[in-house]
Amino acid sequence: MGHAAEGGGQSLSTAFRRARGGVVAASFHVVEVELLRSLVGQLLELVRDEPADLAAGDGWAAELGLADDAPSRPTDPVLLRLFPDGYREDAEAASDFRRFTERGLRDSKAATAATVLASLATADGAGLPAKSREKIRIELDSAESEAWLRTLTDLRLALGTRLGVTEGDEDDWLALDENDPRRHVHDVYDWLGWVQETLVRTLSSALE
Amino acid sequence: MTAPVEIERPEAAEVPLADVPWVTVVWNDPVNLMSYVTYVFQAYFAYPKTKAEKLMLDVHEKGKAVVSSGTREEMERDVEAMHSYGLWATLQKAGDRV
Repeated sequence: MGHAAEGGGQSLSTAFRRARGGVVAASFHVVEVELLRSLVGQLLELVRDEPADLAAGDGWAAELGLADDAPSRPTDPVLLRLFPDGYREDAEAASDFRRFTERGLRDSKAATAATVLASLATADGAGLPAKSREKIRIELDSAESEAWLRTLTDLRLALGTRLGVTEGDEDDWLALDENDPRRHVHDVYDWLGWVQETLVRTLSSALE
Repeated sequence: MTAPVEIERPEAAEVPLADVPWVTVVWNDPVNLMSYVTYVFQAYFAYPKTKAEKLMLDVHEKGKAVVSSGTREEMERDVEAMHSYGLWATLQKAGDRV
């Protein structure tokens, strides 16, 4: 498994913590809010981007998984990681499982990402003086927190799979040239992990 | 003396082994945070923290762990839920080599 970078790398944010009124809250720099919005928007497109024949599938047959346009196994490694096989050694059962679950999983991941976008949309700081816009406070209720956890996971799975992240490879990424675009993407991946870690810790304290 | 008219059947007879022949397996991946995997086991399965942490460490150190068992339909629901959380999970017959 992965682990979060200490202190969030070069984070400008304040970690998630429990706030009054049963919410959790964190502060983000306006640039970080823009980054999150852009990433979540791309994720939303990715999970919604179903093959045309699947999107056109009609009515009850498609819903019951009986239509011919059932989702096929993704060739894109990112999509395959977001929607993995349900069976390891039974391709036919895996195909059936995909037919019955992938559409619903795509819908729920899209709805979750949309919830995160909505919580970011109310936090654009527009109209505030320039100084106050530098730190934008995000407050999440329990449903929004759950959406953030899942969407941060999906983002990290997508970025981590694209980058080819492996366990214990942190030093390899730090050794990359500063101008290597992969290093920048890995910094973003690390930062998302740090944000998620602070959110998980805050929510876990309520489970005990 | 007479035997009681009604005899309570032993509990085991009501749950034949054949009814719980499937398991959900969660596999290690390089991305998911240890804290998050523990959280998912607590939140979804309602496992106590100690059990959730033990399962998470099994996944991390042994590469996989059986996290639940039940009917095939129940395990398909669990696997689908794990996928919705972003965990890498599969189901299989309980007796099959994990």
